[in-house]
Amino acid sequence: MLFLTVVLKNLLRRPARSLLTLAGIAIGVAAVVALTSVAWGFEGSWERAYAARGTDLIVTKVTSQSPMPAPFSESKRAELLRMPHVRQVNGLLSDLVSIEESPTVLVFGWEPGGFLWEHLHLVQGRWPADEKEKTAVLGVVAADILKKGVGSTVVVETGEYTVCGIFDSGALVENGAVILTLPQLQQVTENEGKVNFFNLRLDPGTTPAELEDLRAAIRARFPGFSAFTAGEVAQNNSAIRVAKAMSWATSLLALLVGAVGVMNTVLMSVFERTHEIGVLLAIGWRRSRIVRLILYESMVLSLSGGIAGSALGFAAVKLLQWSPILRGKIEGEVSPGLFAVALSVALGLGMLGGLYPAYRGSRLPPGEALRYE
Amino acid sequence: MEARGLERRFDGGRVQALRGADFVVREGEFVAVMGPSGSGKSTLLQLLGALDRPSGGEVLFRGEPLGAVHDLAGFRARTLGFIFQSFHLLPTLTAAENVQVPMFEMPWPPRERRARAEALLAAVGLGERLDHRPATLSGGERQRVAIARSLANGPQLLLADEPTGNLDSESAGKILDLLERIHAERGMTLVVVTHDPRVAGRARRTLRMLDGRVVSDEDQREGAPCSS
Repeated sequence: MLFLTVVLKNLLRRPARSLLTLAGIAIGVAAVVALTSVAWGFEGSWERAYAARGTDLIVTKVTSQSPMPAPFSESKRAELLRMPHVRQVNGLLSDLVSIEESPTVLVFGWEPGGFLWEHLHLVQGRWPADEKEKTAVLGVVAADILKKGVGSTVVVETGEYTVCGIFDSGALVENGAVILTLPQLQQVTENEGKVNFFNLRLDPGTTPAELEDLRAAIRARFPGFSAFTAGEVAQNNSAIRVAKAMSWATSLLALLVGAVGVMNTVLMSVFERTHEIGVLLAIGWRRSRIVRLILYESMVLSLSGGIAGSALGFAAVKLLQWSPILRGKIEGEVSPGLFAVALSVALGLGMLGGLYPAYRGSRLPPGEALRYE
Repeated sequence: MEARGLERRFDGGRVQALRGADFVVREGEFVAVMGPSGSGKSTLLQLLGALDRPSGGEVLFRGEPLGAVHDLAGFRARTLGFIFQSFHLLPTLTAAENVQVPMFEMPWPPRERRARAEALLAAVGLGERLDHRPATLSGGERQRVAIARSLANGPQLLLADEPTGNLDSESAGKILDLLERIHAERGMTLVVVTHDPRVAGRARRTLRMLDGRVVSDEDQREGAPCSS
């Protein structure tokens, strides 16, 4: 018999209680997994979008940490183009608007012929012919949500646009978006001559040191502006920050509530087994073995809860992704890294919840424990 | 094993369970400790088993005071075997698993632990009941499992607290036969705390206790007192 057999069989002694504790941990871990998955997925999606666009640097207002920074004049383009290592500059205007039944849809205005279009894959129809044409292209997810196809009309703010194409991108944020030409979006949102991002492509072979110099130069030349790499923009995005903070806060709460639950269960089982602990000490078990027994029990309990909770959390993310309200807006990340986080949280619960009962159990004087009925 | 002026007080001295017990148990002896409830028998057994510390006096094992033993858990694991009135088997473990519980403190691999447990259970007549859980065994059989468990690590001293207290007379007789046989075959020292005169009848020596003191010490077989 292995020591673990004693641990497992002890947990099976009160199956209902063990199962309820396990369920409690599973729900906590599921919440952690679901929120973290969405937060990481959100961040990953933006990172993928920027990476797919081939953007090396994004210039925006430094105070603007929201996904929709305030628009600013696009007159800086020429100056940016004159800076060392800058090969291409594409202005971009983005906004969240309600389109028909859909409360919030991401709408981009991209320069016709700019490099941003290069990574998109046209599934149906064609690209907008020129900046005067009142046409729009829809990401595959947006087309599905809005129930639009090539030839349909979408109403953005006060403008009516004919859908001329459906595209597929590597990133959900773009697949769930509507893209107009930049002048069309500027006009309909009354932001003529304004963008809220510049996407910069640099010369191939630009070294990290040269990139840093360029960023410093941009900050110096345009006070109030900054240049971020793709990953940094996602990290500085306020929505992503909120999602991440929420996932951390939930994790912390789940950890606390779960630990108290585990502690309650394990402590109760230690009190119930006071006499038995006395017997184990009498037959030669060391206190350290009693500690291990109790800690292992609580860790097996929470680890099982962690595995069940991860499965539950990933299932919840899948459900959320397909729910009518959130479809096309969230993309949960299901990765070994997140599974490791969930199991670490669960193990943390087990350790935290088991330490005190283990301490209590191991400090029992054997004679006193044996007299206890 | 020797008890010198052994005292044990509880509740800040309000309860005095032992009031100076003195005796010597020689290696290989079978000693019964008798006395009415509250006479201090079980307290004495716990002090002999290093489960409790005396308030006064000392217990010596092979001349060494137990108070000076650094690793009491190791001492209990390797030197002592305990048998309890209520068996105290782990309910979720099988007979063979229960016997292996003390063996975790020994450097034996799982296969050896299992083989030893099987041999011990066969020796107590439960070779066919290895995988039965305590709930499916009779009282006598449970006590046999407990006896096999007490022998798990090859102890030199067996301490039994009312080993027949929860058994009918037939089962009690069989348990006493078994204890007597183990004592004879293995030559280990056996100290049994009991109410039961039949148990004392099997022992070579009987220590009688009253109010926390040893009041008589008789050699049963010869009928002559050893000391007082």
